[in-house]
Amino acid sequence: MSIVAKDVGKKIGDPPTQILTSINFEIPDGQFLSLTGHSGSGKSTLLYLLSGLDCVSSGSVIVDQVDLSRMKKKEVAHFRNEKIGFVFQFNYLIAELSVLENVLLPAKKYGQEKNRLELAKSILEKVGLIEKLNRLPRQLSGGEEQRVAIARSLVMGPKYLFADEPTGSLDTGNGEIVMKMLKEVHEQKGTTVILVTHEPDYARRAQRQVSLADGRIISDSGPSLELSLPV
Amino acid sequence: MISMVSLAIRYLFSRKRQSLFTLLGIFLGAGGFVVISGFFLGFRFFFIDNLVNNSAHIFIQARQEFLEPHSLDESFFKNETKHVFWKSIPAGEKDYHRIESPQGWYERLDSDPKIEAYSPQLVVPALFSKGGSPIAAGFTGCLPEKQARVNTVAANMVEGKFSDIGGGGNRIIVGQELLKRLGAKIFENVMVTVGVGKQTPFQIVGTFDSGNKRSDLQAYGPLADVQRANHTLNLINEIDVRLFDYEQSSTKATTWSALSSETIESWDQRNSSIFTMFALQAMMRNIIVFVIMLVAGFGIYNVLMMTVSQKMKDIAILQAMGYESWEIRLLFLFQGFLLGVVGALLGLIAGFFICQYLQTLPFGGRPGATRPPGHLTIELTMGIYLQASLLSMMSALIASYLPARAAAKFTPIEIIRGGAV
Ligand SMILES: Nc1ncnc2c1ncn2[C@@H]1O[C@H](COP(=O)(O)OP(=O)(O)O)[C@@H](O)[C@H]1O
Ligand SMILES: [Mg+2]
Repeated sequence: MSIVAKDVGKKIGDPPTQILTSINFEIPDGQFLSLTGHSGSGKSTLLYLLSGLDCVSSGSVIVDQVDLSRMKKKEVAHFRNEKIGFVFQFNYLIAELSVLENVLLPAKKYGQEKNRLELAKSILEKVGLIEKLNRLPRQLSGGEEQRVAIARSLVMGPKYLFADEPTGSLDTGNGEIVMKMLKEVHEQKGTTVILVTHEPDYARRAQRQVSLADGRIISDSGPSLELSLPV
Repeated sequence: MISMVSLAIRYLFSRKRQSLFTLLGIFLGAGGFVVISGFFLGFRFFFIDNLVNNSAHIFIQARQEFLEPHSLDESFFKNETKHVFWKSIPAGEKDYHRIESPQGWYERLDSDPKIEAYSPQLVVPALFSKGGSPIAAGFTGCLPEKQARVNTVAANMVEGKFSDIGGGGNRIIVGQELLKRLGAKIFENVMVTVGVGKQTPFQIVGTFDSGNKRSDLQAYGPLADVQRANHTLNLINEIDVRLFDYEQSSTKATTWSALSSETIESWDQRNSSIFTMFALQAMMRNIIVFVIMLVAGFGIYNVLMMTVSQKMKDIAILQAMGYESWEIRLLFLFQGFLLGVVGALLGLIAGFFICQYLQTLPFGGRPGATRPPGHLTIELTMGIYLQASLLSMMSALIASYLPARAAAKFTPIEIIRGGAV
């Protein structure tokens, strides 16, 4: 099983501008991949396409042998809920809900919040927020908010974790904490992690490094590379 | 789904002031509907109740007839000539209107199981005087035991009993208003002029007060005595009928009209102007409530539209984690619905208590009346509450429909790329 991008192209806007061109690669399950490139090179756009948040303009994205563009809306929603964890660059927490409620929100979609409660607490414990699970987002620091967002993306035990510059707005300390979390889910749960980052240091820790420029892949350290540097 | 409901509640609570303000609109709409409806319907009920209880339900009256150019030929010339030429052609209303075959009517009314009672009458305009200048008033000759069963005159007696005119002997019962204008007292004699006849003395043996000035400018006497005074023995010109079910009055009246030459009116046909007023009241109420609901609905619409634009980020993140468009719509529809339900509930409760209070206010009666005033009649039927809650819920739902649709319109990526971040 894997994520496969076949000749993926994406146009946005009116008039349409080509954002991504002929993206071809395969991410085998359990890989830790980093995606780098200048701002505006199309990293976020690619992440949205691979995670089923957005639709391709040409080509296809095939996840676990299913073409995402062939899925019905309902199926895509279910797919995202069950298999995809997504960490946005900005902290997308719901201001009216407590830390724990925010983390459990994906579980609520199919009435799973009871089953996931223990897992949610253990994740919050790991990220050092167990004391603050009844706080509201405005009572947290930026780093704490991002950790909650990561906890939320992990609560459904996703097979694929996408992180779009999760450390972008954090200081080094908090950045390290986030990187440690990603490393942990990858190693302990075998989760496929796709990390967009500007930090060459963080990118180097991935098993495979892909670079984008002007919507094209300009370098790919290769699907078979199994090098894993210590965190 | 439950998660959307609880999130909707959180949203409402996080904007307490706005929510309260919006509630107020629905509250006023629902409460206003209950109070205004209760007041108007109560008023209507009071009027109808008064009408159908105090008066007969159907009035069968002799048709007004006019002289034809040759309708007097026979009386004057018998069979002498075939062609009569009048210098002044006969014209105008006939002297006496009569119900042509009262016996036929009695048989029909006696055999109809829907008829509770009926009373044959001779109703004539009359001049009453007691020394001073004469007072014009209606004079009804009737059979007291029959009359007592078709309207409430017998129950409204202030002095004497209605049956006191039963034995004949030129005795009458007069309304309080007539008594006052005559300056007469009970057991005094008054002179009554009826038709072209000379004055006939009648003795007042009782008085009544119906609560209505116009009906109190009237007198009742024994049928035979009035016929004699009017020089029209055996003539009756009206039969008043009471039904067991007053709501069938107009149907019955219409049926009978088709079968006979008499003029037949039911109580509601006779008071049709009041029903026009009721219709006007209902329209007024609808307009007031419509305006309140419009304002309330607009409030909800505004607040929700604002919430949608403030919560774009939340919408994107919810969709990204797998929530579907219908759930996003529900999130906003439910906020409107909740405002509608809570506002309506508070409005109904407030409306109920205001109605309770209004009911204690005195109403009816008039200065100098012998009867004590009643209370304001307020209708408090379930129907009004049901209508009010339906109406408020409808307006809340309609008002939240557009914001809900707007919320679910965008894909998460459109929101993220659109710069909502
Ligand atoms: N709504 C939009 N309309 C048109 N172009 C857009 C829109 N959003 C992003 N882009 C363009 O798409 C390109 C890729 O954006 P993005 O995927 O966010 O890049 P990255 O994440 O690598 O910084 C950029 O050149 C950006 O200007
Ligand atoms: Mg980006």
